Amino acid sequence: MLEKNYLWRIYWRLAGVIMVCVVIALAVVSFFSHRVFDRELVPEVEQKAATVANSVRALLLKATSYGVPFDKLYGVEQTFGEVFEENPEFSYAAVTDLDGNLLFARGKEPQGVRDFFRQPAIIAVGLDPTATWTPSHTGQQYFVSMPIASDKPLGMLHIGIDGKFVDNILLEVMLDVVVVLVVSLFFTLELLNFMAGARLASGLGEFAQQVERMRAGDFTATARIRANDEIGRLLRRIDAAIDHLNVRYEFLVGELEDKMRTATGPRREALRPAMNVLENIRSRLRFGSAPKEAEGDEMNLNRIRAPLFAFILAEEMTRSYLPTYVNQLLVPLWGISPQVVIGLPIMLFMLIVALGQPYLGSWSERVGRRRAMLIGASIATVGFAATALAINLYDLLLWRSLCALGYAMVFVAAQGYVLDRTGQQNRAQGFALFIGAIMVATVCGPSIGGILADNIGFRLSFAVSAVMALTSLLAIARLPKVEVRTNTSQRPSRGPRMREILALLVNKRFMTLTGLAAVPAKVILTGVCFYLVPLYIVSIGNTSAMAGRLLMVYAVMMVLIVPLSASLSDASMRRDRYVSVGLIISGLSGLLLLISDSFLVLFGVVFLLGLGQALSIAAQSALVADHCQEEIRIYGHDAVYGVYRLLERLGNALGPLIASILVIFWGYQGAFIAISAMVLVCGIAFTIATRGLDWQPQPAT
Amino acid sequence: MGTIRVRFILVALVVSFFAVGMAAFLNYFKYKSTIGNIVKSRVLVVGRGIENSIQASMQLGMQFSELSQLAQMMQREKSSDRLVRGIDVFDYSGQVIYSTDRARVGQKVAASWTQAAERSKTTEWTTEATDEFVAGISLRNAFDLTVGFLALRYSRDEVELAAAKAGREILLAAIGSFLGIAIVAPLALIIVIRRFEHDLHALEAAATHLEDRTESTLVTTSAFDTSIGHLRASLRDANKSLDDMRAKLDSAG
Repeated sequence: MLEKNYLWRIYWRLAGVIMVCVVIALAVVSFFSHRVFDRELVPEVEQKAATVANSVRALLLKATSYGVPFDKLYGVEQTFGEVFEENPEFSYAAVTDLDGNLLFARGKEPQGVRDFFRQPAIIAVGLDPTATWTPSHTGQQYFVSMPIASDKPLGMLHIGIDGKFVDNILLEVMLDVVVVLVVSLFFTLELLNFMAGARLASGLGEFAQQVERMRAGDFTATARIRANDEIGRLLRRIDAAIDHLNVRYEFLVGELEDKMRTATGPRREALRPAMNVLENIRSRLRFGSAPKEAEGDEMNLNRIRAPLFAFILAEEMTRSYLPTYVNQLLVPLWGISPQVVIGLPIMLFMLIVALGQPYLGSWSERVGRRRAMLIGASIATVGFAATALAINLYDLLLWRSLCALGYAMVFVAAQGYVLDRTGQQNRAQGFALFIGAIMVATVCGPSIGGILADNIGFRLSFAVSAVMALTSLLAIARLPKVEVRTNTSQRPSRGPRMREILALLVNKRFMTLTGLAAVPAKVILTGVCFYLVPLYIVSIGNTSAMAGRLLMVYAVMMVLIVPLSASLSDASMRRDRYVSVGLIISGLSGLLLLISDSFLVLFGVVFLLGLGQALSIAAQSALVADHCQEEIRIYGHDAVYGVYRLLERLGNALGPLIASILVIFWGYQGAFIAISAMVLVCGIAFTIATRGLDWQPQPAT
Repeated sequence: MGTIRVRFILVALVVSFFAVGMAAFLNYFKYKSTIGNIVKSRVLVVGRGIENSIQASMQLGMQFSELSQLAQMMQREKSSDRLVRGIDVFDYSGQVIYSTDRARVGQKVAASWTQAAERSKTTEWTTEATDEFVAGISLRNAFDLTVGFLALRYSRDEVELAAAKAGREILLAAIGSFLGIAIVAPLALIIVIRRFEHDLHALEAAATHLEDRTESTLVTTSAFDTSIGHLRASLRDANKSLDDMRAKLDSAG
């Protein structure tokens, strides 16, 4: 049989080749861009240096006009220091006399600069009363030299421009290019799956299934339309061979029956061996038409991945800059601090998603998953477009609510789509595909969104999200119109009832897990990643693109660690330990800011938070089944998990609120530290509460 | 060329287009913002000179509205840099008090100017008019109270022409590299997917004569050999059973 990872090995090889090509192409673009930057920016900076030099010269001349001798001027170096502070691209400044001898200087002296000042061509500029300024280049440094003259020439002023200033400018672009590279890798894998893999995987899967059926003696014919590609042609040939067998079989059976009908006595006995063979064939092999099952394209789970990815990407793209955008549209709300107001759209979004999801599940079942997704994506598209045009905070809240409603609809319907098409044996596989699409979108979205926001502005970036949501709409429209239900998904889903919620809220076992682990984990996620990081990064003079890069670090940690921690925690069956360790690591993350508020430390905060969340997230959900068996027996699996998810999502909504209140009292750093400390305390309490408990581990849910 | 190969090549082209396009986009916007900042800070250097002069006058006890030499000085500073189109000083209400353009004195500046100045967290602010950029400085007295605003209007052309020129070159570099990829990537992909295509060909070849029962020999080792073996064995077995029945029917006469 086909090896399980056969296609993935091919994908990785293809992705490797594509990445090598992309890296070479990016290097070429960067090389040429560097040349353009060097050629075009240097004259502009020289022009600026001349303007600055002009201003400094005016000061020097003012001092000399009061009778201070030119070589005895006071505070020249200090003035140069102020110039450097305002213009970081200037690294050296000097005043020389008419012979090129150094009088005053500030900054690291470039090698050979004194000889440069004494060059006849440079000295000539100082002596020329008509000269304005002259640019020159020595070693790694660009120089702008300007004569200082009142009624007679006095000397020269030189401003040195760091030769590496273009490199420094391009360093930020390089970081973004690295982000583009990472996103391209994930994008490649998604596209390989979408453009080729989905059909290839389902075609090869069908081939393998067909071979298995034939091995089991099932030669029933299926009347399916095959794609016109290599796999389609292959399947058509197998279909033809099966059809041929069926025709032969029907013909032989018909002939035998005809003969049997007319035969009597010894003739009938002569036909007995043929009858025996037929009996034998019938006992081992099956011919005829296969029962009509909802197979093929309607069952193809892969088809949900592309629309889901595109849709989630649209929302994820806004993560890195939404709070900063809200900050721009801020209007004072009586009695509410601006910090809380900035978090309002995120809170509202999370709240709508949390409260809507349990009920939207049964709604999407009624109207059909495809239709529900179409409606959700349409609403979100309108929401994104309107957010781009928002006038102030009030209408922004409305548009973000539309986005949230659309998000909840698409999320729930896509989840239902997977549930409908999977049974017990392939449900985990189906959800891996579903979560995979979301994970990849969380890696790509914030970073690309941040880059876009920095370069084209917040409003146009929201417009890009609207286009992305519209694209997902088109992809959803291509999903099969036929609604499918496997036997195991026939039972209608329902939201948790109030009495179940109330009963579970006062249940110690349930609340130990939910209140001490699930909710704090979500509070720190949305509070830190969606609220504090974007705002803090901008407040310390960084860009939204940097916030996006940090959020990407979080997402990459999740993508890399979650599968590993999920399988390890399943194998060890000590999921509680993974949750404890994860919570404690998450809790320690923000405490790093006690050491320093540097950017590297913030990177460490996000890294640790990603690690902690990745360790605990998979184990947490599975732990509900381990930990709350009694509750599941009483209220049912759906109700317990429904309440668990509801509370978890309410934690999502609480995160920005708690973080914003903490910011009011203790500022950004204090908020990071306080929210982390709270999670750390919860982690320790969870560890103590679950220590020594009699676990009855269940398979992962 | 096989359809699967075409799809893989299309993926490579789409991803390359995205990556190269994003790189070009980033470089272009970085250039545009850098040159915009350089030009803005150059204009603000001129503005700082005027600001220092205004503050010095106010420290001597002069009223903000009585700086008689200011217009002259602004005119001088304007002529020091060809980039500067005009300099205005306006009060809180947006009314121009001094200007290098006499006709503007007494008029109101656009509301976006005062809004930009108020929104800014530092003394510097910027805004855009239809055909010019505005870089400004909030003027503060000795008590750190804002008494008015200095605005320097400068041409958009300087920034936009430079950005357009750089943009064209970056675009050409991007198109060149994309074309390079469009040639190299398919070739590289063909080499990499040769094994996969070989497997598919083996599969196709094995399935060619399933119907007429003249089995072609297995080409070489491929990832599908086991499956092909099972497929053939099943068909052989079924055909053998039917042959057997045919023989029994024929022998029965």
